[in-house]
Amino acid sequence: MSRPFQPGTLGWRLLSGTLAWVLATLVITGLILTDLFEDHVERQARGELLMHLNQLTGHLELDAGGRPQVLRELSDPRLKQPYSGLYWQVDGADGQPLLRSRSLWDGALSLPPGPAPAPGALQEYRLPGPGSVPLLILSRVILPEADQSASPGPLRLMVAIDEAVLRQPVRDFAGILALALGLLALGLVAAVFLQLKLALGPLERLRHSLARVRTGEAARLQGSYPAEIQPLVEEFNGVLDHDAAILERARTQAGNLAHALKTPLAILANAAAREPGELGRLVTEQVGTARRQVDYHLARARAAASAQLPGQRVAVRPLLEGLLRVMGKLHGERGLHLELLPVRGEAAFRGDVQDFQEMLGNLLDNACKWAASQVQVALESGSDGQLVITIEDDGPGLPEAVRETVLQRGVRADEAMPGSGLGLSIVADLAGLYGGSLNLETSPLGGLKVRLGLPGG
Amino acid sequence: MRILVVEDDPHLAAQLGQALEAAGHVAVKADNGRDALYLGEEEDFDAVILDLGLPVIDGLTVLSRWRAGGRSMPVLILTARDNWHEKVAGIDAGADDYLTKPFHMEELLARLRALIRRAHGLASAEVVCGPLRLDTRARRISLDGSPLNLTSHEYRLLAYLMHHPDQVLSRAELTEHLYAQDFERDSNTIEVFVARLRKKLPPDLIETVRGLGYRLAGRP
Repeated sequence: MSRPFQPGTLGWRLLSGTLAWVLATLVITGLILTDLFEDHVERQARGELLMHLNQLTGHLELDAGGRPQVLRELSDPRLKQPYSGLYWQVDGADGQPLLRSRSLWDGALSLPPGPAPAPGALQEYRLPGPGSVPLLILSRVILPEADQSASPGPLRLMVAIDEAVLRQPVRDFAGILALALGLLALGLVAAVFLQLKLALGPLERLRHSLARVRTGEAARLQGSYPAEIQPLVEEFNGVLDHDAAILERARTQAGNLAHALKTPLAILANAAAREPGELGRLVTEQVGTARRQVDYHLARARAAASAQLPGQRVAVRPLLEGLLRVMGKLHGERGLHLELLPVRGEAAFRGDVQDFQEMLGNLLDNACKWAASQVQVALESGSDGQLVITIEDDGPGLPEAVRETVLQRGVRADEAMPGSGLGLSIVADLAGLYGGSLNLETSPLGGLKVRLGLPGG
Repeated sequence: MRILVVEDDPHLAAQLGQALEAAGHVAVKADNGRDALYLGEEEDFDAVILDLGLPVIDGLTVLSRWRAGGRSMPVLILTARDNWHEKVAGIDAGADDYLTKPFHMEELLARLRALIRRAHGLASAEVVCGPLRLDTRARRISLDGSPLNLTSHEYRLLAYLMHHPDQVLSRAELTEHLYAQDFERDSNTIEVFVARLRKKLPPDLIETVRGLGYRLAGRP
C-alpha cells in the first residue's frame, strides 16, 4: 500500500512544489523588507547627522584671535561620552583638527587628502574612525564672517556616527522578521498539507473502492465523489456494466443456439432409432457426432465468454448444496449417499457463479455416474487464498495411464456411460482460465479423487 | 398411466406421444405454457414431461405455479438447456428429474417409470401386491411367480390398480388415466376389462365398492 505523501505520488509532487514556492517567496520577501528597513534607518541617521551639523554650525563662534570655538554644548549627550559612536570635529584650512567632541577623546577624524570642496556643499564619507570602526561622516565647509582682520579661512565641520550603531536596529529587525516569516512558512505548509489531505481524500477512497472491486467484495465502484472524479467513476462503472451485459448476451446467444440445434437433433435421433436399416444407423451415428460437436463448441463459447469480470465473489457452500440437490434427483434411482463435509468458516470463490456451477456440476455428475454408493465433497480454504474442492467416489477409479487423456477434448474413459465425455476437459479449461488446477488422484474410498484448485478469498 | 407432455415442437411432441403410447401410457399434449398450466392445475396426471422454452409462459414459471398451488405430480424437465445453473433452477423450482436434449427415448421412458414408482413410494422397479408382482421395466405381471397373459388394456388397468393398492378408484378416474381423450368414455368399458381381469386373477382380489369404484387388495 502506498502512503499519500511518498516520493512519486501526486501528494508528494504537490507538497514539494508548494513548499519550494512558499520558501522562495518568503526568503525574497524577507530580503526586500530588510533592505527597505536598512535604507530607512540610514536616511534617518543622515537626517540626524545633518541636524547635528547644523547645530554645530550654529554654535561655532570666533574668539578675539579669530580662532573658532564652540561655547555651548551640542544637545546630544552621546557627544560627551567617550567613543559613544557619535562625534563631531572642526578642521582648519590646513586640514588640522581645531576642535572635536568630547566623545572623540584623543582620536581624530581624518578625511582623505585632496582639494577642499566648495563652501556650503554637503559631503558624505564612509571611512574608518578611532579604533578603525567604520563611520558615516557628513561634512560641510564654511567661511566664517570675521569682523576683525584675523579670519581663520575656511573651516571644515564634520559629524560622524558609528555604522555599528546604524546596523544594530537592522539586525534586530531582521531577526524578528525572520521569526515572523518562519512562522508564516510553517502555517502555510500546514495549511497546504491539510488542503492536500482533503483534496486527495476522494482519490484514496476511490483506490479503496477499486481494491474492493478487484477482490470481488463489490461489483461496482461505490460512493459519491467530487465533481472532478465522479465522471471517471461513472465511466468505470459503465465499462463494468457493459462487460457484464456483453457476457450475458453471449451466454443467451449460446443458450439460444443450443435450443435451436438440440431439439432438431433429438427429433432426428428418435426418428433414426425407429429406422432399422443402414440409414437409421448412419443417422444415429452422425447425430451423435453432431451432438458432441455442438456440446463442445457451446461449452467453449461459454468458457470464452466467462472472461473473469472483476468484482465477482460467491459463497461456495450454498452453490454446492444446490448442485447436490440436483445430483440427488438426477441419480435418485441409485440411492447414492452424497455428503458435503463440514466447512470451517465461509469459503468463497472469486469468479463467476455460472462458471463455478459448470465446473462443479460436471465433476459431481461424473462422480455420481461412477460411484458405487457414496460421493464425498470437501472444501478447504488455503491460507494463500486458494480454494480447494475435493470430490471423491467409491467407484472403479481411473487408471493412471488414462488420467491425462480424459482431460483432453471429447475423450471418454468408457463409451458405455452416458455423457459426451467433455466434462473433465471443460472443467480443466475453465479452471485454467481462472489460474486454477485440476488433479486426478486415487481416493481412499477406492474410486477417483478429483482436486479442483480455484482462486478463493 | 396418464402423462402430460408439454413440448412446443410438434415433431418431438408427436414422437414422445407415440413412444409413450407404445409403452402403455396415455399422452396428453400441450404446446404452450398457458395450456400446460391449466391442464396441470385442473386434471390429474401420473407424470409430466415439461419443456422449459415454451410460448406464452415459460416452463419454469408453469412448474413453480403448480408447486405453489399444491400440485405434486412428478415432473421431468426435458430441455435443450444443459447449463448446470439451469438444472439447479429447474430442480429448485420443483422438478423431480432433468433430461437434456438430444436424448435416448429409452432413457426418458426409464426415468419416467422410476419417477412414477417413486411418487407412489416404491423403491424398486418391481411392485408387489399380495400374490401379484409387476415388473415395470419388462411390462410384465406375474401371479404367484407365473406370468399372466394380459392384453395391453388389461395390463394398463391392473398396473394402475397395483400402483394404488387399497385405494378406491372411480370408473371415471380409471377411464381418464388409462385411455386417450378420443377414446370412447363409456364406464361400461372399464367394467368389461375388470370382468376379464377377474377371470385371470384369484377371486376378491379386485373388490367392487358399490357406487364408488374398484379397490385392489394390497395385502392378503
